[in-house]
Parts: sequence; C-alpha cells; structure tokens
Amino acid sequence: MMDGKFNDERYLTFALGKGRLANKTLEVLEQIGITCEEMKDKNSRKLIFVNEELKMKFFLAKGPDVPTYVELGSADVGVVGYDTVLEENRNVYEVLDLGFGKCRMCVCGPASARELLLHHERIRVASKYPNIAKDYFYNKKHQTVDIIKLNGSVELGPLVQLSDVIVDIVETGSTLKENGLEVLEEVCPLSARMIVNPVSMQMEKARIRDLVLRIREYLSKQA
Amino acid sequence: MNQRLLHTPEGVRDVYGKEYERKLETENRLHSLIASYGYDDVQTPTFEYFDVFSKEIGTTPSKELYKFFDKEGNTLVLRPDFTPSIARCAAKYFMEETRPIRFSYKGNTFTNTSNLQGKLKEVTQMGVELIGDPSVEADGEMIALVVESLKAAGVKEFQVSIGQVEYFKGLCQEAGLDEETEMDLRACISGKNFFAAQELLQERNVADPYREVLLKVADLFNSMNSLEDAKKLVHNDRSLAAIERLEKLDAVLKLYGVEEHVSYDLGMLSKYNYYTGVIFKAYTYGVGNAVITGGRYNTLLSRFGKDAPAIGFAIVIDDVLEALSRQKSEIPTKTVQAIYYDPTVCGDFEKALREATGLRSQGNNVALLAKGSEEGKDVSK
Repeated sequence: MMDGKFNDERYLTFALGKGRLANKTLEVLEQIGITCEEMKDKNSRKLIFVNEELKMKFFLAKGPDVPTYVELGSADVGVVGYDTVLEENRNVYEVLDLGFGKCRMCVCGPASARELLLHHERIRVASKYPNIAKDYFYNKKHQTVDIIKLNGSVELGPLVQLSDVIVDIVETGSTLKENGLEVLEEVCPLSARMIVNPVSMQMEKARIRDLVLRIREYLSKQA
Repeated sequence: MNQRLLHTPEGVRDVYGKEYERKLETENRLHSLIASYGYDDVQTPTFEYFDVFSKEIGTTPSKELYKFFDKEGNTLVLRPDFTPSIARCAAKYFMEETRPIRFSYKGNTFTNTSNLQGKLKEVTQMGVELIGDPSVEADGEMIALVVESLKAAGVKEFQVSIGQVEYFKGLCQEAGLDEETEMDLRACISGKNFFAAQELLQERNVADPYREVLLKVADLFNSMNSLEDAKKLVHNDRSLAAIERLEKLDAVLKLYGVEEHVSYDLGMLSKYNYYTGVIFKAYTYGVGNAVITGGRYNTLLSRFGKDAPAIGFAIVIDDVLEALSRQKSEIPTKTVQAIYYDPTVCGDFEKALREATGLRSQGNNVALLAKGSEEGKDVSK
C-alpha cells in the first residue's frame, strides 16, 4: 500500500469503522458520486478496495483502530464514532460531523445510584471507555472514582455488584430498561465523525477540501 | 545465552549498517547547510533540572518526561527537546550580548509516550535558534533554511505551512474572550475541531460577529484563502500587524526564491502559549506528522533572565529518514574495499598492510581480512 502512494497520482486512503457506520458512510459517499464497486461484493475476501478512476482506496477496520491508522498516516481519512475519537484521543483533525449514528454517552445505573453522584463520593464505575469516564468524573464532576475497564455487556456491572454505575453508549435505552437501569446523567452526544491525518490535510489539501465540502453540502440538503 | 539480554525496551532501537550510514550522511548534509548560514554548534547536557522543561517553559507534558533524582533529591529530566536548553545556555553565557546569536544543535531527545502506538521514545533532532533578532528578515532566514534543509536532505515533495499566532490573539482580544475561553478555543482550533469550537463559542456566549470570525479561523475549509481575505475580517491593530508581518515575510521569501513551497494558514496555532509570532511546520509524504516544527518565541529567554527575542526550528531526523525511505529517495553510501592476506605466508600481512595504508591515505575505506575467513562476503554490510 505504501508503494502505491508514490505513483504519479497518489491514492487517497479511507479507513472506515466496521459495521453500520461503514455502510452508512458508503451510502453518503455514493450520493456525492464516490463509489467503490469492489466493496459491494459481499463474498470478497479482499482487505483493501480500490477505485482506480478516482485514485481512492478503502479498508475496513475495527472502530478503535481507525484513529490509529489515521494518526500514523496509513489512512488519510477515517470515519468513526465520536466515542472512539474521544476515547483514543489521537493527534488527528476532526473535520466533519456526519450526523448519522446519533446516540449519547451516559452515566447509567439503578435509580438508587443517583444519590451517589451528588456528594463527590468515591464510587466504582465500569466502562468500555475508561478515558471518557475518567475525564467526565475527574475534570467535569470533580469526583474521584475507581474505574473498571470492561470489554462488553457493561450493563452487567451494577447487576452483579461489580460497580455502582456504568458509563456507556445509550441509543434507545431499552437494554437499560429491561435490566432495571436508567440514564442518570448525560456525558455528551455522539455521532459519526470524519477525521483526517494532519500531514494529509496539508499535502492533499485540494482533494480533501473538495471531499469535505461536497459531503457538507449533501448533509445540509438532507437536513 | 540469556535471550532477554538481547532486547531493547519499547520505543528505542539500534541503528546500524546502511541505515546508520544514511542517517549520518543526512545529518552531515543538514549540518553543512546550517553551518553555511553562520550557525555555531552548541552541545547541552542530555539531562537537566526539571524546572528547565516545566509547564511554563516546555511543550512536553510533565507525564511524558523521563524523570529521575540526583543524590540530593533534585528532579532531573532527560531532554524532550532542545529549545529550553539552548535558551538557558544563551541566557547564561551571553547575558550581555546584544548582537544576534546563531546556535545549531544535534542530539537525541526523549519522550515517555504511550506504549503500543508505533512511536519512538528516543529520536534524533537537529535544529537552529536565532536569538536577539526580532526582524522579519530573521523570520525569512528561518523559513528559507527549512526549505533548503529538506531539499538538501533529498526530500522531493514537501509543503511548509506558516501561521501567525498574533492574528488569533488579537481576535480573541477584540472579542473580549477571557483567558480560559481563549485557551480552550486554541486547543479546538489547533486540533482543527470545528464543532468543538462552535460548541464552545455558543456555550460561552461569545457575541456575533466575533463568533463567526473566530469560527472562520477554526474552519479549514473556509473562504479565507489569502492574507487579503484574512485582513478584511479583523479590525484590531494586533491582528492587522500580524497580517502585515506575514506580507513582509512573503516578500523576503520571494527574495530567497522559496515561495513555491510555502502556504499560509492562520488557523495553525499551538496548544501552548509559547509562540509569540510566526509559527511554521513542514510536511511531506510518508510520515504521519510534521518533520520540522518551529516558530518565534520572544518571551522564552526572559524566563531565564535574558530579555531577547528568538526564533528557531527542530528537524526530526528519524522522520526525515523514514520519509526518504518511503519516498524511495536514494542516499549515496560509501563502499568498503577488502584487502586479503594469507596469515600462513610470511610477509603477506606486511604487504597487504602497506597496500591498505596507501589506499586509506587516498581517502578510500579499506578493511583488512585474513584469507579464507571472509572471502566472497560483502564487507560493507
């Protein structure tokens, strides 16, 4: 892939967070005339998809890895949830709010735990997002907490007395409700973001600028 | 054998063979270029007192400094960059000097960054500091030297972005922002985070039309393409003086003939309150961050008791080399000639030695090898 970068015309490389986000991103790109036929073939085992005409490459990566690819310059542009951008806190430019994938980062727990958030008590917080949780409690609420990193099904935390509350993404809140938990506080709203490598931003200014302006125009028409 | 002994810690590495040769060659080229502009070499210690690199002076967060203690309990720090050391050195030994001082340096710097991110913790930096010259010609010399350095190193395509922090500071003053808002906004803009800037300005109730103007600075994709456009947005002396300075700088850069490599970006700000005038970064393909960063810092030396303006930049040599290798740019390396002797033949060594000495005195690189042991092997590896 690195070799390809120094052809007469350089490829613009995109790293997309796997799953719904990537599909939605490809939809938006298609609307502004950027397609990648290779990617539509669901049976393909290829890891990197190329649009030779537009000199663009696309690859799918696990969400938290997208900022890493972009920071180190392996991808020029990345699309990933704002939760990942905050959690990874990498040196990348955040150029566009794509508006989809909307949800919220919240502190959740049983209703009885609401009291624990009021008096700067030392409590236990379970989360997939230790950095976000830490920033929220330490710098915004000024509450010292013990953070426990979990890798999934975070809602279990308060149910099995692993933690007092959790910090997690809330979309509809139905998982919470079914398990007797509720949103106690909102940390921040989330949505998909487009991030850019700082060097690419300078070296490929015209192309990235054109791309962002076109997506922006499309999004404002939708709104 | 103890296998553990063979490993180096994460973030540091051995440099050897052709790679090291290329590194030295690049350093030599850059060094002779810098010397040709009249810069004197200085060497400062690898570690210094913590205070020299503290928050008020340095640009590396305290948690990323390698710290240790001396026998009296003072905190010492492995240098994360050179500028504070050079400023200290200039203040100490050239306190009374009123003429400009030109320093250049080269050495390794250390930052204790996170693991598993593919970043080096020890890198070689080379750089210059021009102390005691506040003129626009000094700014021009710096940027010309940045362009010439990259050319000398053999970097083919590169771009130098120039900003002026005073433009933003003037705007903040005009808008009446408090210090905290200014700092927060600067963090958003330096990360090109338009939404965070938008949110922040809304949250802090910054009045229009300032909100809009500040957002234009934050917005990479705005219509502010030229210095002319930027000028029209502001009505305060500080920002206007900043633009005027850049216009003058542009004229100087044209005299140097380097204007084609240069672009202006008034949204380029540093997170730190350290730079006081022009600020610049050089970018090229193949590395994820700027290979050269620099700017004017007119108040740094006063922290060490010498009131003198200064401007400088640092080249990250390891990044330049990585860019060169990714760009497949060849750096010529020397060859080593082998001369063989037969240790079992009386006088053969003497004969070989005489031949080698002759070749060496003519500037050749010669290795003496016993026959049988090394024959057929490339000794330059």
